[in-house]
Amino acid sequence: MEYCKDHIKADCEQLLSRFQQMESVRFEMFLAIWKEMKFESIFFGKMESKLSRLFSREVLATAYAYLLPPYTFQIRVGAIYLLYGLYQCQLCTPREKIRVALKDWEVIMKFQQEAVNAHHFDVAYILRKLISQKAFYFTAMPTSLVFNVKRTNISRTLCEEFLERASRPQEVVSMDMLEELANIHQHYEQVKASSSESTSSQPDPSISLIHKDLVPRLHSTVLDFYKWQRNQGSGNQEEGQYEDGGEGTSNKHESSQRAKLLASIKSKSYAQVVEAPKARRHRQVERDESGPAQETSHHKRVKSLKQRTSHLTQDLVKEEATRMWCLSQLEAEDTTKEKKKQTFKW
Amino acid sequence: MKKMAASSNSNIPVFEYKDINTKAFHVGSFRTAWLEKLKPDDYSYEDKDEETQDAEIANEIGVTRETLEELKSICSIDSLRCHSEDEPPDTKLVPPDATLQTLIQRKRKQEYKGTLRIDKISRIDHYQNELESLAIGKKPADPDDLVPEGELILSINILYPALFDSFKSVRPHMTLQMLGSHKLVDLRDAICCISDLQVFGEFSNTPDIAPDFISKDHFKSAFFYFEGVFYNDMRYPECRDLSETTVEWAKTRDFPQFQKAKMEDTYFYDLKVKVGYPYLFCHQGDCEHVVIITDIRLAHKDDCLDWKLYPLLTHKHRVLTRKCAVCHVYIGRWLTTNDPFAPVDPCLFCGRCFQMLHYDTNGNKLGQFLAYPYVDPGAFN
Repeated sequence: MEYCKDHIKADCEQLLSRFQQMESVRFEMFLAIWKEMKFESIFFGKMESKLSRLFSREVLATAYAYLLPPYTFQIRVGAIYLLYGLYQCQLCTPREKIRVALKDWEVIMKFQQEAVNAHHFDVAYILRKLISQKAFYFTAMPTSLVFNVKRTNISRTLCEEFLERASRPQEVVSMDMLEELANIHQHYEQVKASSSESTSSQPDPSISLIHKDLVPRLHSTVLDFYKWQRNQGSGNQEEGQYEDGGEGTSNKHESSQRAKLLASIKSKSYAQVVEAPKARRHRQVERDESGPAQETSHHKRVKSLKQRTSHLTQDLVKEEATRMWCLSQLEAEDTTKEKKKQTFKW
Repeated sequence: MKKMAASSNSNIPVFEYKDINTKAFHVGSFRTAWLEKLKPDDYSYEDKDEETQDAEIANEIGVTRETLEELKSICSIDSLRCHSEDEPPDTKLVPPDATLQTLIQRKRKQEYKGTLRIDKISRIDHYQNELESLAIGKKPADPDDLVPEGELILSINILYPALFDSFKSVRPHMTLQMLGSHKLVDLRDAICCISDLQVFGEFSNTPDIAPDFISKDHFKSAFFYFEGVFYNDMRYPECRDLSETTVEWAKTRDFPQFQKAKMEDTYFYDLKVKVGYPYLFCHQGDCEHVVIITDIRLAHKDDCLDWKLYPLLTHKHRVLTRKCAVCHVYIGRWLTTNDPFAPVDPCLFCGRCFQMLHYDTNGNKLGQFLAYPYVDPGAFN
């Protein structure tokens, strides 16, 4: 099922982003998009029973990921509707279940409570309905794990538009709080002035530990943060333009640069003539000399793409290096060891 | 009190390495954690009638009957249908005007498949599909055999011992479903490996008694290794502690202390494991299988609920069998060397061809040769 993972993800994201644009959490709205996209038909097509079972599993697992934070409330509502739709429309009997991990259950229950508190009864109803239909497997982990260590780390990107924006600073620094802070600050200044009055007219510079304009400063900082956040959001939505500042975007910028570099290396390597198998080497075509003179002789090994680009990716690798007891250590040693392959000398 | 809270938290499985394996947790406490969080109705096997279901939902989310009726009509399953009622679509066909990327891909794939000459499911695939769905939703005849509600089901992959470099991507394995109340010995007995069936020795003079000497009866020791503990099989007096050498060796090296326990005294509930992490099963002295617990979950009403059918085999990798050199029909059972009748040395024969070629009608050996019983890797297919 690995082959269609990206496509399923793309389809789900398209549905959810359209739902997001509706700016509503009503089920009717979701249904309108569902019908327009004919999402039910995702299960159509001749598939063997096992394949269709695997496919259902994959689709449900993909949709489940959107049910959890850090996605916004609206996306999570979309996800629960999506799960409901997919669960009801799948074609295998008995239906494949939605796998819920123990660590996520609390989050989901809280989500239900939030929905009830906000009087979004359709959300709560559908969640409750799924539970009473026994649509869930209560599991340890959302997918079954087979120690599938990938040679390359595929970092699955979160869809940024769906993410909940951090609102803690705004919540903490409210107007009431600012007012109170201003009062305290004023009081503090007074006390300081009165205590230092006896010695000299000017307050002692050694006890000026706090900026005098603390409150306005704090206020403007939070405002700046808010503006920056909004700018970033709209900037991302417009085009692939990345403004500098902010860790997320700069990282992305770097990675896209790296991708371009890799692509250029790749295209270069394709331009070279493919080495023929040993038995046919005597009839190998000579490479067109008009290109850049980078001819490599047959018995000289061309460095692999990985080796050639290792200096670019080294930093990344270091970050991601995981040490898994003795097993991984051995593995690491293996990769560092140069492969000594005996080649026939012509 | 605080300490207790901390320890119960550590039994909620979380990823150690994302999408690869979890941190170690205690299986029994994991189950109690789930049962505490759920209401008994959530995991019971019973299907309630719609009336009570609705009443409960209304109660849970705090709405009146009228609102619930309205909700029900809005959220009905029929509303999800994307076609009119009188013309149900052909679910076997990818719709021609598909816009979903998944469907576009599937269509391309199927068009390609249509150009292939072979368009049928292979026999092996067919068996495999059958195996997985054979036990789904099976109810026991005797209600006493029902798997209790809230029981854990563990899916365990047991990999085949030899992993050749060229087959590394396949990882041939068998998958067994176990219940939490099973002991480790139940898993040990359910694992089928051909090294248990091997017969050692040369039997050209007495071919009839050969099957009586299989390794399973001779060498009964085995151990599982989970999270720093060796679980030894000590059910029989002739069992030896196979882990001894490893433990002793590790003591002189810079390794954490290993512990030992008995396989027959250990329930799955007592284990502390990581899901998705490779562990070890070793038997016949040096036949080593990697064991991975891929999934732990509560039993569901659509699972096989007959307690007697567990350990339940849900997947089995099939191997090509080597056939008899004479008839090319039956699987080889004898391997001969120094054989004047054989075209090659060594050579495989099925039981019947071996008898007919090497012995006269009275069962007397003809000529000089050496014959060894041969167990084909595909014997369990």
